[in-house]
Amino acid sequence: MNALTDMQLDALRELANIGSGNAGTALSSMLGKAVDISVPTAAALPLAEAVAIAGAPEELRHGVVVPVVGDFEAIVLLLFPDPDARALCRIYGIEPSTPDGRSMLGEVGNILGTNYINVLAQMVGMVIEPTPPQVVEDMLGAILSSVLLGRGDDVDEALILDSNLMVEGEQCSLSFLLLSDRGGIKQLLERLGL
Amino acid sequence: METVVHMGEAQVSSTPGDTLACIGLGSCIGLTLVDRRRGIAGLAHVMLPACTQPDPPLPHKYADLAVPSLLGLMLATGARRSRLEAVLAGGAAMFQFSGGSGQEIGQRNIAAVTRMVEAARIPIRAAETGGHNGRTLRVHVGADISITVREAGGREQQLLGGPAGRAGTDSKVVYA
Repeated sequence: MNALTDMQLDALRELANIGSGNAGTALSSMLGKAVDISVPTAAALPLAEAVAIAGAPEELRHGVVVPVVGDFEAIVLLLFPDPDARALCRIYGIEPSTPDGRSMLGEVGNILGTNYINVLAQMVGMVIEPTPPQVVEDMLGAILSSVLLGRGDDVDEALILDSNLMVEGEQCSLSFLLLSDRGGIKQLLERLGL
Repeated sequence: METVVHMGEAQVSSTPGDTLACIGLGSCIGLTLVDRRRGIAGLAHVMLPACTQPDPPLPHKYADLAVPSLLGLMLATGARRSRLEAVLAGGAAMFQFSGGSGQEIGQRNIAAVTRMVEAARIPIRAAETGGHNGRTLRVHVGADISITVREAGGREQQLLGGPAGRAGTDSKVVYA
C-alpha cells in the first residue's frame, strides 16, 4: 500500500479526535470525574511497529477488545497499564483481576467503544456497530498481535488511531486504539472522499 | 546480545552468548531449530498458517514458508540436517472472535507449524503451545543451547537444555 498522505492522516486524526472526545465525555459521566484527552496520533504502520508504538511488548496490560462489525471492520482496543487499571477499579472499590474488575473494565470498553464508533459511523455515513467486549490481562505484544491476526487474515499493516485518556485526580490513563487493516483504511478514506 | 525476532522475521546465530527472543507471542508461534552439537540456533516468528500471495515480503510470517526457509538458513550456517531438533511455543487463544473460518487462529498455527516440521522429519523436542496466555520465548546460544519460555505473569521455564548441562531433560511437552 502506498503511504497515506498528510491530508489523509490529518483526516483520520480528526476522526479520532472527535471520536475520543465523545468517548471521554461518556467515561466522564460514568465515573463522575473529569476526563482529559490527549491529541490523538494516527498512523498506518507495519504490524511489528504498530505493536512497538503501544509500548514494550512484554509489559503487562489489561486489555478490553471491542470488535466492530458492519460496513467497516475494525477493533477498538483499550489498554490499561496495571497500576492504572487498579486506580480505575478502586473508584468502585474493586480489583481489576477479579470477575467484578473484569466486568467493570469491559463496561468501560463498551461505553467508550460504542460512543467512539457511533460518532465515527455518523461522520462517514456507515452502518457499524460494536460487539460485546472481551477483557484480557496479558503481555502487550501478545494482545496486539492476537487482536490484529484474530480472524486469520493476512494483515501487513495496521491503522492505529491512538488517544490517551486521563481520569483527573485518579492518576489513571488508558490508551484508546482503533485498529483496522488495509481494506478498512481504504474504505474509511473513500467515505471521506480522500 | 539479545536479538528480538519481530513478527514475520527469522534469525540464526552460532555466537556463544547470543540470545534470540520472541517477545509477547499470542496466537503467533516461536519456532526454534537447533543443532546442539554445533551450537547453532534459529528462531522464526510465525504469524499465519499459510501464504496466499506470490513472493511475500516476509516469508517467515507463514508456517508453510517459514519452516523450509529457517531450515535453509540453519544449513547455510553450518548445521547438520540430521541433528536438527525443533522447539515451539505460542499459539494461544486469547480471544474468542465470532465468525471467521471456524477453527481458531492459534490452533491453526500450531497445526500448520507442527505438520511442516514433521514433514521435514525434524523431531519436536518440546512444545509449549495453546492455552490462553501470551508467552515470551528465549533461545540462549552457546555450547549448551537452552530454550526458555515465560507465560504472562508466570516464571521462566526451561524447554530445552539448561545451565547445568541438562541437555536431554526436556522438561515439558504440551500438545494442545
